[in-house]
Amino acid sequence: MENIYILLPMFIKIGIVVMVLLLLPLPLTWLERKIAGHIQQRPGPMRVGWHGLLQPIADGIKLLSKEDHIPSEADQLLFKIAPVVALVPPFVVFVAIPIGEPIEIFGTAVMLSLSNMNVGLLFILAISGIGVFGIILAGWASNSKYAVLGSLRSIAQMISYEIPMGFSVIGVVMLANSMNMMDIVNVQKDLWNVVYQPIGFFVFFVAGLAEAQRIPFDLPEAEGDLGAGYHTEYSGMRFSFFMLSEYLVVVILGFLNALLFFGGWHGAPAFIPGIVWLLLKVGFFIWLFMWFRFTFPRYRYDQLMAIGWKVLLPLSLVNILISGLFMF
Amino acid sequence: MARTLQQKQSWIGWIFFSDLWAGLRLTLRYMFSKTITHRYPDQEKWVPYNRHRGHHFIKTNSDGEVNCVGCELCSQICPCDCITVIPYEDEKGNRRPKVFDINLARCLYCGLCEDACPADAIKLGQEYEVACTTTDTLVVHLADLVAAPRKAEEGSGTLVKASLEENGGTKTIAKDGNTQGHDWWQHIRRE
Repeated sequence: MENIYILLPMFIKIGIVVMVLLLLPLPLTWLERKIAGHIQQRPGPMRVGWHGLLQPIADGIKLLSKEDHIPSEADQLLFKIAPVVALVPPFVVFVAIPIGEPIEIFGTAVMLSLSNMNVGLLFILAISGIGVFGIILAGWASNSKYAVLGSLRSIAQMISYEIPMGFSVIGVVMLANSMNMMDIVNVQKDLWNVVYQPIGFFVFFVAGLAEAQRIPFDLPEAEGDLGAGYHTEYSGMRFSFFMLSEYLVVVILGFLNALLFFGGWHGAPAFIPGIVWLLLKVGFFIWLFMWFRFTFPRYRYDQLMAIGWKVLLPLSLVNILISGLFMF
Repeated sequence: MARTLQQKQSWIGWIFFSDLWAGLRLTLRYMFSKTITHRYPDQEKWVPYNRHRGHHFIKTNSDGEVNCVGCELCSQICPCDCITVIPYEDEKGNRRPKVFDINLARCLYCGLCEDACPADAIKLGQEYEVACTTTDTLVVHLADLVAAPRKAEEGSGTLVKASLEENGGTKTIAKDGNTQGHDWWQHIRRE
C-alpha cells in the first residue's frame, strides 16, 4: 500500500508529460503557419476562430475523417505499426529531460524530471537514434517507389547526423564532468555553455536541424518536390502521427539546446521562476527553427551528406580537441 | 532579368555566413511588418482605376434621358454578339432605345462598345462583383444599366474600408460612402 504513495508522483508526472506532449503539436502547427504567413507578408490562417486559433482543431477533425487507405501491396503489419514506432521515441526521450530544480510539495522533494539518470545525456542520444526505425518501417512497408527512396535518404541523413550531434556534446560533458542532465545544467549557473563551446553549439544546432529534418535539411520529405517521401502512402490519423513525432522532435531539440548550451533554468531575472525562463528559451529555439524554415532554400542530397560528414564531423572532433587543450 | 547589385563577399564573411544573416534579417523584418493582403470582402474593398473595364452603365443627360440613340453601333462591333438594341421614337421625336440588353455571360468586357459609341452613352465602369447563382440574372436591361455604378470619381486605385452587404448579400459595399482609400501600391515594400 505504501508503494502507491511512492509511485504516485511518478504517475502524476507521467500523466502530465504525456498529456502536454500530445497536445503540444496543436499550437505548434498554428504558430508555424502564422510565422510562415507573416514572413511571406500575408496573415496566415485568420478565418477559423480569432486569428485562426481554432485552425489546428479543424485540421485535426479533417485528418480524423479521412479514409484510412492502405495500399494493397503494402506490408500490412509494418504499415500499421510504423507510425506508432515513430511516435514513441520522442515521448521516451522526455523521461530524461528535467525542467527545473527539485521542488517541495507536501514536504517531499519532487524531482522535475521523470528520471534522473547518471547517463541521462547518453540515454537521450540513444533513444533519438531509435526514432529512425519509424521511418525505415514506413518507407519499406509502403511498397511504393517514392516512399522507399525518400525513406532511404531520410535514414542515411538521420544516422549520419547523429554522429556530429553526439560528438558535439562531448565538450559539454567534459565541462560538467558528468552525463547527468541536472549536473550539466547546474554547471552553467555562472556562465552558459555556449560561451565555452561556441563551435559545439553550432555543430549541435545544425546537426539537430538535420535530425529533425527541418529546412535546410528536409529534402527527404521535400513536400511538393518528392511526393512527401516516406509518408507518401499515409493518410488521416496515421499521417498525423508522423507529423506529431516531427513536432515533438523539434521540441526535444529546443529543450536540448536550451539545457545543454544555454543554461537551462539559470540566469533568470529575479521575478521569473526558473521553469518559465526555461520554457521561454525553448520557445525561442522553436521560433528560431521556424524562422530558419521559411528563410532558407533546402540543400541538395549530396550537399546534405557532404555537410554531415565533411564539415560537421571534423568540426566536432576539432571542438573536442580544443576543449581538451583548454581544460588542460 | 534585372541586374542586381553584385556584392563581393569577403572571405571572413564567408566563414561567418554573412549571406545567411542578410537573408535572416530580411525575413525578420517581414515577420514584424504589417501584412499586405487585402482584407476583402469583410473589411476592405479594392476600387479599380478609371481605366478598369467592369460592369457597363449608360449615361444620362441633365434632363434624365439616356444619351443612347439606339444606333446599334455597339451591337455591331461587339465581338461576342451580346448586345441587343431595338430603337424607337419617343414622344419628343427623338430616337431612343426601346430594348437595350447586354448578355453578361457572353460579354468579354473588351470595351469596344464604349469606343464605338458616338453618343457618349455606353461605358464600362468600376463594378466587378457581378457573380450570381443563376444565368438569367446575367442578362441586364436598360433600367439596370442606367442604375449601374459609374466609374469611381475619387479613391480609384485604392483600398477603401468596406463591409459585406447586410441581409446576406454578396456584394461588398464601401462603409458610409467612403471614397478616400488607402494607397496600397505606395505602401507595400519594394526591395
